[in-house]
Amino acid sequence: MIFHRKVLQTASLVIAVFGSLAFQAVFAFEAYITNERSGDLISIDEEGRQIHSQAICKRPRGMVKGLGAHQLLIACSDDNKVIELNTQTKKIERTFNELYGAMTLAIHRPTNRLFVSNEGGAQATVVDLISGNALAVLPTGLEPDGIAVSDDGATIYVASENAGLVHVFDALSYEQTAVIVTHLRPRRVALLGDQLWVSSEMGSRVEIFSTTTFNKIDEVIFAPKGFRIEQLTPVDILFDKTGNLAFVALGAANHVAFVNVNSLEVEKYILVGRRAWGLGLSPDNESLIVLNGLSDDFTIIDIASRRPRVTRQAGLIPHAIEVFE
Amino acid sequence: MKTIVVLCLLFTMSFAAQGAEFHITIVTTSDLEEPIRGQSFAGIQTQVERPVHRAAELALFESKTIYDIFGIKPELKALDLDSSVDYQSQLATISPNSLVIVDTPEEPFIELANTLNKLNLVTVNVRHSNPDLREDLCLGTLYHTIPSDRMYFDALVQFLIFSNWRKVLVVHGPSSIDQARTKTLVESLSKFGADISDIREFSLSRHPDDRDNNKPEFITGGASYDVVAVIDTARDFGRYFQYRTRRPRPVVGDIGLTPRGWHRTLERYGAPQLNERYRVFDDASVLPASEAMSDSEFATWSAIKLITNSLNTIGLNNGLLDVAAILKNPDAQVDLYKGTRGSIRGWNHQLRQPILLTTADAVIAVAPMPKFLHPRHYVDTLGLDEPESSCRLDRVE
Repeated sequence: MIFHRKVLQTASLVIAVFGSLAFQAVFAFEAYITNERSGDLISIDEEGRQIHSQAICKRPRGMVKGLGAHQLLIACSDDNKVIELNTQTKKIERTFNELYGAMTLAIHRPTNRLFVSNEGGAQATVVDLISGNALAVLPTGLEPDGIAVSDDGATIYVASENAGLVHVFDALSYEQTAVIVTHLRPRRVALLGDQLWVSSEMGSRVEIFSTTTFNKIDEVIFAPKGFRIEQLTPVDILFDKTGNLAFVALGAANHVAFVNVNSLEVEKYILVGRRAWGLGLSPDNESLIVLNGLSDDFTIIDIASRRPRVTRQAGLIPHAIEVFE
Repeated sequence: MKTIVVLCLLFTMSFAAQGAEFHITIVTTSDLEEPIRGQSFAGIQTQVERPVHRAAELALFESKTIYDIFGIKPELKALDLDSSVDYQSQLATISPNSLVIVDTPEEPFIELANTLNKLNLVTVNVRHSNPDLREDLCLGTLYHTIPSDRMYFDALVQFLIFSNWRKVLVVHGPSSIDQARTKTLVESLSKFGADISDIREFSLSRHPDDRDNNKPEFITGGASYDVVAVIDTARDFGRYFQYRTRRPRPVVGDIGLTPRGWHRTLERYGAPQLNERYRVFDDASVLPASEAMSDSEFATWSAIKLITNSLNTIGLNNGLLDVAAILKNPDAQVDLYKGTRGSIRGWNHQLRQPILLTTADAVIAVAPMPKFLHPRHYVDTLGLDEPESSCRLDRVE
């Protein structure tokens, strides 16, 4: 009997090992997560299993994919720098220094430019990724966070949390061309066609502005069951690949909202962890990954069925996520 | 290149760069100030006694970007009153439509608030947590950005109930203010269903006959409790309670776990940036890392930021920054760096805000605590709610 059980155990172990090896070869995606308090970077697969972990820098926050297929750019806020990680070798290959309080990153690949919001200073910095030189410093209100660049590389948007503004800059002359007054504490900016979506963390809403007139077009107000309006503190906004669905992480309301982009109706609220803020989308458009900043975990949601699939532990204060194929 | 200012609220652009004025006056009575030393003759300082001016400067520093866009020119004045001269004539020099921040002891405060009300000047209490000033004074021009004791104690009691420390031994000092604040604490304990094991008065006399009431070990004996709540406004004796209670129990209230409006160690909600900025924004006087805004300073900062943030939520009124109208508008909201925005309670003009439960070097919790729910406003489980308040300023007019 004992012998028999051992055989079974060994057999199941062998299956488990082979199973995981086989699985690792075919995982649908690898998502990198920065943990701002533990100062590390982890990667996970579509079931939330950890693939990789490494100490990375002080207070890693925003990320963006670099110019190359295996490049990941990471903002190291307390080191005042941005680093470029090779996701195959896991080595830091380049460092862009003197980026004070680097927080959120955006990239324009055709012109090899990186855009960095400098939360600790009242500015954003444009970096040439080829030479590594700073091309321009864009003055903003205090605590700049969300940053975005238009697809044609002509316009840069930077949200100032403290001032309640989105600064609009010409991306050629680097002159400020407009200022959009938002509701309180604008966090993230996301472009969709000729619309600019801005999450207002202390205004408990997402405001939508025209990128041609900069006028406010509309707004999305949230109301998940059991929460008062002040508890709705939206941060990340993400559009799915079809451009018909927007995902909004609702912060202290512990939910993520699925918003119909055309009707602006909230189609579904999904309960996740505490202070949901960072969002990532799988390349196959099937999974949404939500980072929960107060419960130090992440939730993977099946987009088609609109159900959470798994919640697992992250590092301390998971902040941002980038998903690779 | 010309900068286009785009306002996305429902008002016209006619104001643009016309130079709306924003007058702020900080009123003090320095000849009536006495440092809070309690009965301690050794001159031991236990509370921050910094003027609120720095916090006002910080709020204006933060507001510069948006003031420039709206063409607002702020003017911060300090008015130190001579208590031997009639207040009204001195206060009459304040520009109409000013935000008047009053940072004086309570006695002159009441007189000043009444006089400022007669002068129709918007007045902000940044110093006194006495609930009576919200209930009995109840003036149309008076606002309170410092939390009331009811808010502080409601926050503390929510934490006790949440922690399942329901049996509370209350120890208070003999002064009339300690007795009044104890009454407020007891109201909070009753509101949330705590079990008061006893209420005892501490004696400052060291005479052996008084030892049942002047030794922490004795005054906390002969009772069953989960926690000792100490009310000691002047910090005369409470400092000696921790580690000296008869039973090994936590101490809360004015000592130990203390409810606060602001704290230097709040780690979330952007608070580290605000704390850092407070220390370093003025190149000429950078403060050490141990310093942070006191609750009065935070209340001053909040009052000015409420006006600043109204530019985002309300906008100008025909090109003017109408302080009185802004404060009466339910859309007046302020980003408090505490995870939930602040706004004004219409009935007694108290700034609703989360309360921090703190030790010397940590924020243990941010109230409202989980599961304390309010039908309308998330933070209105803290302090006198609309049906409980006798002040009904929202019904006047």
